[in-house]
Amino acid sequence: MTLLAAIRPDEWNLPLFLHLVGAMTLVGALLLVGVSLPGAGRVRTAGVVRLGFRGLLFAALPAWILMRGTAEWLASEENLDDDPPGWVDAGFMISDTGFLLLIAATICAGLAARRAGRDRPPATGLSTAVIVLVWISLIAYLVAIWVMTTKPS
Amino acid sequence: MYDWLLFLHVLAAFMVAATAVIYTAVALGASPGTPAIRVADAIWNIGGLGTLVFGIWLALYVDGYEVWDGWILGAIAVWLIATGTGEQARVQLAEGARNFAAVHWVRTLAVVGLLVLMVWKPGA
Repeated sequence: MTLLAAIRPDEWNLPLFLHLVGAMTLVGALLLVGVSLPGAGRVRTAGVVRLGFRGLLFAALPAWILMRGTAEWLASEENLDDDPPGWVDAGFMISDTGFLLLIAATICAGLAARRAGRDRPPATGLSTAVIVLVWISLIAYLVAIWVMTTKPS
Repeated sequence: MYDWLLFLHVLAAFMVAATAVIYTAVALGASPGTPAIRVADAIWNIGGLGTLVFGIWLALYVDGYEVWDGWILGAIAVWLIATGTGEQARVQLAEGARNFAAVHWVRTLAVVGLLVLMVWKPGA
């Protein structure tokens, strides 16, 4: 049983590797934003706000695309796209909802960075929204990691 | 049991990778602040220990894998390189050393190497 669980065809290795690279970069980028913004305290400098925006736009978004694209590739290799089991559906549902949260967080971070760039007072509400959205995403991805590894059902 | 061991092993690997991502931001010139670096260092330690402990536990638990398999010994060697360079990167960042970025990229390469070994399992 445990031997069977550990064996997979070689054709799955490349999409699995790229899927993991995307997922790990996504979680890392979200964590970077999720700890650097609150870590800066109530008065967030323009640099930290810009880092939040760039981290989401240039790291998290491309990583999400890599993770999601290779998830489809893997599902196709494993012939799971016609009648996907519950754990595959759950993974897609979490990642697609995560994308909406990521887009919302990136827009909020972009607006906050734009405001900070114009030497206006820090947009606390927008930064707080980014932190909340990022942490909801991180919790959702923790559940996704559990679902992907334990494959319930 | 297998599922939970795999989950904890993979979760630990995500922590290690997250540290590499946060340090990459620093290596590229960003300043995420001291709390972010502290979190990165903490999850590096937890994740590093977790990947090793749960990885060896998995190797003992799964039929057909042995701790002395070539790809597992290779992974332990790369893990040692990642741990050593990770510690160096932490110290050099704290001291503001000039070659911090170079050490960080070696560590990141080791983390990617670990992932390659875990996915392809050469010789298994």
